Amino acid sequence: MKNDKAMRIIEKALRQGRKTLSEYESKQVLAAYDIPVTREILVRDKTSLDKAIKKIGFPLVMKGCSADIAHKTEKGLIHVDIRTATEAKKAFREIMTGMEGFEGGVLIQEMIKGRRELVMGLTRDPQFGPCVMFGLGGIFTEILRDISFRHAPLDVRDAQEMMQEIRGHKILDAVRGMEAADTKRLTGMLISIGRIGVEMPEVSEIDLNPVILSGSNPVVVDALVILKQSSEG
Amino acid sequence: MSGRPGRIKSNRKTDYPPTDYERIFHPRTLAIVGVSAEEGGVGFGTGMLKSIMAMGFEGKIYPVNPKGGNISGMEIFKRVEDIPEKIDFAVIAVTARHVSEAVEACRKKGAAGAEILSSGFGELGTEEGKALEKQLQETAARGIRVIGPNCFGIYCPASGLTMLPGPDLSRISGPVAFLAQSGGMAIDLAHAGNYLGIRFSKMVSFGNGADLRESELLHYLAADPETQVISMYIEGIKDGEDFFLAIKEAASRKPVIVFKGGLSIAGQRSVASHTASMGGSRVIWQSILKQAGAVVVHDSEELAQANLAFSLLPKKTFKSISIIGGGGAIGVTACDTAESYGIEVPPLPARLQERIGNHLPKPGSSAINPVDVANPYVSPQNLKEVLLIAAEDQRIELQILDSLLYHYKPLAKMFGKPIAEITPYKELARAVRDVVDQTGKPVIAVLPNPRRGSDDMDITELIALTRQEYIHLGIPVFDELHDAIRAIAHINTYYGGRNK
Repeated sequence: MKNDKAMRIIEKALRQGRKTLSEYESKQVLAAYDIPVTREILVRDKTSLDKAIKKIGFPLVMKGCSADIAHKTEKGLIHVDIRTATEAKKAFREIMTGMEGFEGGVLIQEMIKGRRELVMGLTRDPQFGPCVMFGLGGIFTEILRDISFRHAPLDVRDAQEMMQEIRGHKILDAVRGMEAADTKRLTGMLISIGRIGVEMPEVSEIDLNPVILSGSNPVVVDALVILKQSSEG
Repeated sequence: MSGRPGRIKSNRKTDYPPTDYERIFHPRTLAIVGVSAEEGGVGFGTGMLKSIMAMGFEGKIYPVNPKGGNISGMEIFKRVEDIPEKIDFAVIAVTARHVSEAVEACRKKGAAGAEILSSGFGELGTEEGKALEKQLQETAARGIRVIGPNCFGIYCPASGLTMLPGPDLSRISGPVAFLAQSGGMAIDLAHAGNYLGIRFSKMVSFGNGADLRESELLHYLAADPETQVISMYIEGIKDGEDFFLAIKEAASRKPVIVFKGGLSIAGQRSVASHTASMGGSRVIWQSILKQAGAVVVHDSEELAQANLAFSLLPKKTFKSISIIGGGGAIGVTACDTAESYGIEVPPLPARLQERIGNHLPKPGSSAINPVDVANPYVSPQNLKEVLLIAAEDQRIELQILDSLLYHYKPLAKMFGKPIAEITPYKELARAVRDVVDQTGKPVIAVLPNPRRGSDDMDITELIALTRQEYIHLGIPVFDELHDAIRAIAHINTYYGGRNK
């Protein structure tokens, strides 16, 4: 049942004794489960930068990408709304400098525009096992804790109910000139996260925050996959 | 993917025959191991023997104690082995280190199960306690179901089995089953049920739950024809996946009401991601219970009220209701409460309002809905007419009659008569029953009482008598309007959700 592509990425990380996947790897695992993620290219040296920029197109986001680095914002490893090649080169230099000592590269990422941020995730409850989370994303995740959980595997109704269960569920409606969210797509994403939880015991937790609504389309903009440490079996 | 029987894991060997619940809940021959022949003995064994006798248990009881002797006119057998026939069930109340031995002897005597009242096992947290519990599990695995240890046992009104300390529990069976680790929670509900009008099929307090516990019992009750409503108080569970599937399966067949205790501390565990830290036991538990289709309640009163509503009201939703009553703010607060639970209180059509108005004192009354009867002394006959007319509105699916009977006290004082004599509570209950029969729409009675002090014991008594009168006629009674509306909301959640 396991997804081969996702498994190869995870096995590689486990062989290297890592506890987390990088953002790039995390998104590849998600994409293997048909979860929509940002278009992005990982660039390790300056020479491939131009090609990547051309492929993704301006405006773009550049991020330091390493499995070992958390809290990229605080470390100044994220540059957004880059609009020219000059800006991109400057950002590349700064990020590489900031990452000194860490294995990794620079992620060249399409910039997703949208005012509505959601969060999704997977946790393993000590009693119930894999549980999928849904809620308001970005800074509101911590401030409002407006979230809901469902035990995996999820059926369509579970996914629909958990979206309706949060207090701020109207964020998914057509509000203030914004389109209604593609709930069919969101439903599929939540079900897929549950599938990862059921099919991949090697994955201990997943954070997708934010998932931005670009118009009606949800896109995973940042992702973190945490692996089960070998001591936990 | 609903939990089929095969998916309920058990710590028992799969080649063992299925549990004989019939002989556990309805035993014909019962051993009570650990009674005391001594005069005035008040140990658990003796207490249980006397309680079961007081309940009028019709089967044969075999008291056991190594010292022999007599108790309540019965011979005490020195050993389980000496009992002259096969036994169905056993109550064990010997000291912890002798429990396994006693259970094994009962198994050899053919017992399908045994409840262990004794404590001194895993709950102590000591090595010895844990070892004794493990030994007990191993004994159970040889072919006898163990309830407990450290529990108050089984209450089954139909058979006369009772929990400690319950010599005076009702023998009238009903639709509600209750499961709890806590014996105190169980016995309290049994007593509360008696005056609230909740009738029980089975109650099991399973204490440490060394063998038979929540998931298997849920599975059994889901299929039990004597049980229509399952309720439970739960703290810890043995296996989350089993429990989730067991609730889901049970809730697909009948309402499952769950009061989860111990939600306050998430517990110590390493949290690496945001998602995990956002979880914690409370929100996960609530989500899981909801997902499984359980009705979630937050205290024992709410649990009892939900049991009452589910057991006495028709199996459907009540989205639109009428509220008839008196008291200053009923119009406003009743609507506020109903709306917060997603229940409509629609204004009645003008023609009905006009007819209702003919039965109410003027000025001061309002026939809109909520109907404010303005005066607490409106006669049962007039209230009956009001209820009958309001029920003509096709939208109304259920009616609530909120009676402020405590206002009869000043009237009683004026006439120098006891309050119970001048209050037409019997006529009131009869009138409500007639309305239900004529309209086919349920009526809930609400009997608030702000006068509960020692100088108002007559009011307390009147309310109790009125409640009893209603209950005899099958009308559910709640203390407060809010309680009634919340209970209806639970019914709506269950029958309006995935358990339709």
